[in-house]
Amino acid sequence: MMDDVPSILTASAPLHETVPVVELRHASIAFDGPPVLVDVSFTVAPGETRILLGPAGVGKSVLLKLINGLLLPDTGSVLLFGEEISSMTEEELFPLRARTGMVFQEGALFDSLTVRDNVAYQLIQDSNIPDEEIDARVLEALRFVGLEQTFSFFPASLSGGMRRRVAIARALINNPDLLLYDSPTGGLDPITSTNIIELIVKQRDVHRTPSLLVTHRLQDAFTLCTHRFDPEKNAMVPLPKGVTDPNTTFLMLEEGRLIFNGSLHDLLHSENPFVREFLE
Amino acid sequence: MALNTIDRTVRQIVLTVQDYSIFAWNAMLNFFRPPIYWTDFLMQSDIIGVGSLSIVVLSGISTGGVLALQSAATLSAFGATAVTGQFVSLTMIRELGPVLTGVMVSGRNASSMASELGSMVVTEQIDAMRALGVDPLRKLVTPRIFASIAMLFFLTIVADACGIIGGGAVTVFMNHQNGTQYFNMAWEHLRGPDIIQGLVKPLFFGYILGSIGCFYGMRTTGGTQGVGRSTISAVVTASVLIIFVDFLITHVLLTIFT
Repeated sequence: MMDDVPSILTASAPLHETVPVVELRHASIAFDGPPVLVDVSFTVAPGETRILLGPAGVGKSVLLKLINGLLLPDTGSVLLFGEEISSMTEEELFPLRARTGMVFQEGALFDSLTVRDNVAYQLIQDSNIPDEEIDARVLEALRFVGLEQTFSFFPASLSGGMRRRVAIARALINNPDLLLYDSPTGGLDPITSTNIIELIVKQRDVHRTPSLLVTHRLQDAFTLCTHRFDPEKNAMVPLPKGVTDPNTTFLMLEEGRLIFNGSLHDLLHSENPFVREFLE
Repeated sequence: MALNTIDRTVRQIVLTVQDYSIFAWNAMLNFFRPPIYWTDFLMQSDIIGVGSLSIVVLSGISTGGVLALQSAATLSAFGATAVTGQFVSLTMIRELGPVLTGVMVSGRNASSMASELGSMVVTEQIDAMRALGVDPLRKLVTPRIFASIAMLFFLTIVADACGIIGGGAVTVFMNHQNGTQYFNMAWEHLRGPDIIQGLVKPLFFGYILGSIGCFYGMRTTGGTQGVGRSTISAVVTASVLIIFVDFLITHVLLTIFT
């Protein structure tokens, strides 16, 4: 399937801005055992979508948590919106995290709150926003993910796919400057997975929000690269044959080390045995 | 090999005590720095206070009744059954009211806090909260600790009252003694230091049960099994600490008041 993708043409001009939204410089982290991430360096530029590939257990989720300061690196540095966060206190991190939307692996919705309160969680903390405005913004976010009808439901009554979509709505409600997706399609059926990927493509193409998406599903990664969102049809459509999104690029981890950083074309023509094995 | 195990265990204990001290201190400081989550404080007060009322009332009445039965049996040997009221009220107010309430409420609420927060940790809800720009220590831990302190204070008063009433009921209906005499003795021999002792203790016990319950919940690892382990550790540690701290406070207060 991968070899069928021909040489890369550009769907739109790549974005060239100087300050990366995210920058990791030689970041390493270990817990009680062997190191989880070793000397990882890469950037996410404004408007760029980076897809982080790798098998389960190589440190993909840990990497995402490093980016918004949920974990701090043992060595190296992490820059978020140009600010070094490795030495920041939890309180100093909150304003930066508020600009970042994160979708967790299983959704991580708050069980005791309704969908409305989950999606509006950030807004509710700000007592200056009236309830009517909160409701309107929640409905708008839920409409984006196609789940307006779940407004007053509790997470327990939603399916796995619906929970992920609510989690996406929660991540989007504050119009974040960066989106982090942690295996948003993991454990879902192919149709639901495609729906989720469509939402991610929609967010990428409509709002141009820079994002980092963790997945071990090649199909999702390639769909992201080879499709665009058509606002007229209100659906995801394939790019012309041979064309890929130039702002969607790949990273790959192997046992905590970054072994690939480049475009789909580079990925498909990589000589690295692990990359070849992963693709095949 | 054995030395290594001892070394590891001691390090682990010292690290846990250090982590707990930092955790409990930060959680307490948060109550004096905005934002303060009053709604969460009130909700937790309802869960801890109103929710524990029935067990506190029942255990208070039973304990007072048992005290009256036991003391009357012993005191009758010296012809001193008249001081049953004094014995019951002093024992309840100075010692059994605070300790029993602390242990009962920690059994119910330290376990509930540990399992609730532990479940939130293993399902990444705590990480999600942090990612949404909300401090879980302020939002979840501080309201629980202060609700525990406030509610244990009032629950102890309820337990004391129920204990004295229970003792009175046993004295009148089972020991067939004079009720007026019982309540007069219970009231007249109460002194300020007795009441202070009885009301200072629940403040410490509430802090212990709230902070220990939240501490074990927030450091849960290992999925649902880990939640079970945290719950057990929280209840055991809180109960043992309450009894140990009771000894220390009693010693200090008796030194001050004598």
